[in-house]
Amino acid sequence: MKKIISVSIGLMLIFGTINAQKVYSTRNGKISFIAPNDEDVKAVNNEVTSRLSDNGAMSFSCLIKGFKFGYAEMQDHFNTEYLQSNTYPRADFKGTITNLKEVVFTKNGTYKATVKGDLTLHGVTKNITVNGTITVKDGKMTAIASFPIIMKDFKIDASSVTEKVKAEINCIYQ
Amino acid sequence: MTNWKKIILVLVLIGVVTGGIMIYRTFTKPHRDVTTEKAVSISAQAIFDAFKTDEAAANKLYLDKAIQLSGEVLDISTNQEGKTVVNFKTNDPLFVINCTFKTNPGTLKPGDTINFKGICTGYIPDANVVINEGVLVEL
Repeated sequence: MKKIISVSIGLMLIFGTINAQKVYSTRNGKISFIAPNDEDVKAVNNEVTSRLSDNGAMSFSCLIKGFKFGYAEMQDHFNTEYLQSNTYPRADFKGTITNLKEVVFTKNGTYKATVKGDLTLHGVTKNITVNGTITVKDGKMTAIASFPIIMKDFKIDASSVTEKVKAEINCIYQ
Repeated sequence: MTNWKKIILVLVLIGVVTGGIMIYRTFTKPHRDVTTEKAVSISAQAIFDAFKTDEAAANKLYLDKAIQLSGEVLDISTNQEGKTVVNFKTNDPLFVINCTFKTNPGTLKPGDTINFKGICTGYIPDANVVINEGVLVEL
């Protein structure tokens, strides 16, 4: 009887561990961007909500009005003329890590990760693939990536300023 | 000088001056200072309820507005730029009002109730209402 109980408890523990997917999250991740041909055109948002699950799911949400520019006038133009942030207040990304086998969430190290998913920005949704890294340090995750955003892909008319920006993600998860 | 030459000269001058003013404005316009703005007073719970019930309606009321929020501190942390971030409790354990302070709000601990002013940047479903540029208000 004792044996059966201990075996059952053992099995429950094993299956419990297998089923429990671990989700790492942050409400204060960082996304910044810069125009490649005008380094005055840059902004940073430190209020990015992001979740990273060890089953490979990854999501990012940030508020357009949370992007801070060095110059207040640029921030106004960005919100009212280019991104229309009253109509489209948020940008969202939902995707999955396509090379999940190469990312070991339980072992310290820096792993290359390819994330594929849908980015919704300015009311337009587009499937994108981003290469980045996930660093595991004592159970804490950091995701870093850099990728271009082409303005016309998202129907953003900022042609007087730039045709594209380089976006950078830096999120530290709990 | 013929008349049309004068006209062109005047037009060019107007163009140069206007352009100059626009460039000057771009680089000198000050950022918003929430301390001098009249704010909408609301509790952490009430702003959460408003966004959860109807995001579009709440955006009209609160998005980009100066907000004076009162709420109970859930936790305190620091963002990647060294600014203090305070999460305020709502009745939903997974949902907070996430507030980044512009000026250091001093020593706070979970359970404290504080009042502060900031700018509401919007709502992230299933996560938080975001307020930044926070400045503590003494009552």
